[in-house]
Amino acid sequence: MSQQIPPAAVLAEGMIAGDHWIQVQPEQIRATLSRLQAEGFTYFLFLTCVDHLATPLLQQPPQRFELVYQLRDLKQRREIRVRVFLPEERPEIASVQDIFAAANWDERETWDMFGIEFEGHPNLERILMPEDWIGHPLRRDFPVGGEPVDFSEDHETWQTAPPQA
Amino acid sequence: MGVEQLLEPLGENVLTTTVGKLVGWGRANSVWPAQFGLACCAIEMMAAAGPAYDLGRFGSEAMRASPRQSDLMIVAGRVSQKMAPVLRQIYDQMPEPKWVISMGACASTGGVFNNYAILQGVDKIVPVDVYVPGCPPRPEDLINGLMILQEKIKAQGIRSRV
Amino acid sequence: MSAPAGPMTEHVQGMTIQRSRLQGRDGDLLTVNFGPQHPSTHGVLRLIVDLEGEVIRGLKPVIGYLHTGIEKQMEALRWQQAVVLTDRHDYLSPPINNLAYALAVEKLLGVEAPPRAQVLRVIMSELTRLSSHVVWLGTSSLELGAMSAFMYGFREREKVMDLNEEISGFRMHTSYIRPGGVFADATPRFLEMLDAFIREMPRNVDEYENLLTRNPIWIARTKDIGHLTPEDAIRLAASGPMLRGSGINWDLRKDRPYSGYEKYDWEVAVENGCDCYARYLVRIREMRESVKILRQALDSLPPGPVNIDDRKILPPPREELETSMEAVIHHFKLATEGYSLPPGDVYVAVESGRGENGCYIVSDGTHKPRRAKFRSASFVNIQALEQLALGSMVADLIAVIGTADAVLGDVDR
Ligand code: SF4
Repeated sequence: MSQQIPPAAVLAEGMIAGDHWIQVQPEQIRATLSRLQAEGFTYFLFLTCVDHLATPLLQQPPQRFELVYQLRDLKQRREIRVRVFLPEERPEIASVQDIFAAANWDERETWDMFGIEFEGHPNLERILMPEDWIGHPLRRDFPVGGEPVDFSEDHETWQTAPPQA
Repeated sequence: MGVEQLLEPLGENVLTTTVGKLVGWGRANSVWPAQFGLACCAIEMMAAAGPAYDLGRFGSEAMRASPRQSDLMIVAGRVSQKMAPVLRQIYDQMPEPKWVISMGACASTGGVFNNYAILQGVDKIVPVDVYVPGCPPRPEDLINGLMILQEKIKAQGIRSRV
Repeated sequence: MSAPAGPMTEHVQGMTIQRSRLQGRDGDLLTVNFGPQHPSTHGVLRLIVDLEGEVIRGLKPVIGYLHTGIEKQMEALRWQQAVVLTDRHDYLSPPINNLAYALAVEKLLGVEAPPRAQVLRVIMSELTRLSSHVVWLGTSSLELGAMSAFMYGFREREKVMDLNEEISGFRMHTSYIRPGGVFADATPRFLEMLDAFIREMPRNVDEYENLLTRNPIWIARTKDIGHLTPEDAIRLAASGPMLRGSGINWDLRKDRPYSGYEKYDWEVAVENGCDCYARYLVRIREMRESVKILRQALDSLPPGPVNIDDRKILPPPREELETSMEAVIHHFKLATEGYSLPPGDVYVAVESGRGENGCYIVSDGTHKPRRAKFRSASFVNIQALEQLALGSMVADLIAVIGTADAVLGDVDR
């Protein structure tokens, strides 16, 4: 990793299937992303969340929600993934939409779909679901919904509650 | 003097019919669809109106942008929960008589998307006359659906919706 | 101004019009709602526009009218079943979506498709790019009042659809590219049809150009409209023709090549106009480059299998099922349980007609995705709409939306 990010901020670092990633503390996200931007990672690809509820993994993730920021350096053609773990109750993190303007809608989508709060976002409101919708659909404990299908394998259980582990 | 003698000077230039048949014939051959494309099926709907299939041969090439000028709604694509109230409002704005073709698996049943976001069949909110299966249906399928609808309109005549 | 505070709502012709009086600005602002059902918003996009006379002073896109829950649905399906859903988000370029997903799964599995499959993937991607661009050309010129380009564009789209049908059995949602290879080998008839298509396509592109490139009305409606500076393009992470129309030379096929794109000789289409006309030119030039790639791919199509030889990922060929017990077991396992991916996450991006079409998948070691996300080009490009349209005339909005070329299925997923 670069010399410019203070090593204390990076909790872990690695490569997975050829992708480079680092993990930082949630409080450090703004500092990390602005440093990466200064280093040349100027192109914001996406931001999303992964819900690790009841994961079957042996090595349990530290918290339920994992936020993933993917950045790209257009000049040197490299990419980096920044991971942050957020707790189950009141997941919130500082908004980065003033650093990367492209993160604006991604943050709204992540709020809409996962209920992650982004402090300092100018209009954190639902973007895909209707405004009066209740719940955050992409959380693992939100049922898939729809109509039950006769003779289908395990979709039926998913429609009321996703399998726990 | 009987009708026959009256008709004689006119030769074979006259047809007699009922008003209902005449109206049904007229309506069936000038069905104007509302332009209501939603998803992938809408592209095939455009293809049906395009040069290779030419929906105009069946009197339906005039896709109107305003629901107030149209009498057929082709629901082409998946209807999300957010879109459903809008769709119903547009249907309500269409003048009578009006018909609905549900184009594609999604509009008819929800298709592959059996989930929270998609309305499981547009017939839950508007009455559907013809269902066109397929994901997406070929343009020929849509034309076939339109021709079935034309038969239905002809049979309906001047009666209101049966 | 002594007008009552708060907007006044009026219902006119099925539109809801809000008249608001904003302080500190000259004149009244009229808030008009476009869409979601509107003939020229290119799908079910809804825009709330504040107008001062004819000039746009505020613009708020409202999306989500086509939200399909594809990402959630994928979590309920197995890895190999989820391919069919990838077709359906960006419905103008299904094989390219398949490719992004297939490459992501393959990357996590650590396998690579055989050479013949890679070339077939390139052929399908370029055909799709062509059909996507001609549909774009047809619809957005129709929205700007040029009817004939629509007819010409859809004529060529039919040819691509015929090719799709010949190779995969289906016109639009082919699900042709799958993890581990492709659905089936190209038939001799496909190769013949493709050859004929490649021969005639340059002439067809000339025809589009005759209709539009020097057409004074087209130029008046697109030139210097929707200005996007290179800095803003990067700041807003625009991609595809939006980025290249602003003079930035970035194409994933060149800069992060996949499926053997590095082997072909072609040029990235870049224009410096930064306006709608530049984006149009980029697309036209891309069509010509696609034809070049298609020709080279067709000529260099190597022999060999089109699927990897791994019974754990792909079912055995039909003939083997009749003679080998093991093949039956493998088939049964795949049909009932599918395969599982090693735990981890991976992001793969490919260049679609609209820009960067990425797929981010997370596996928890089971046979279903833990999370699948699509980084869709349209979602990000639509975000830039406000930047593009502020201060321009309301009629120019149509050109701006048109050349952003958003597919709403891709925006809302
Ligand atoms: S039926 Fe198929 S093609 Fe039509 S909208 Fe649904 S997914 Fe798209």
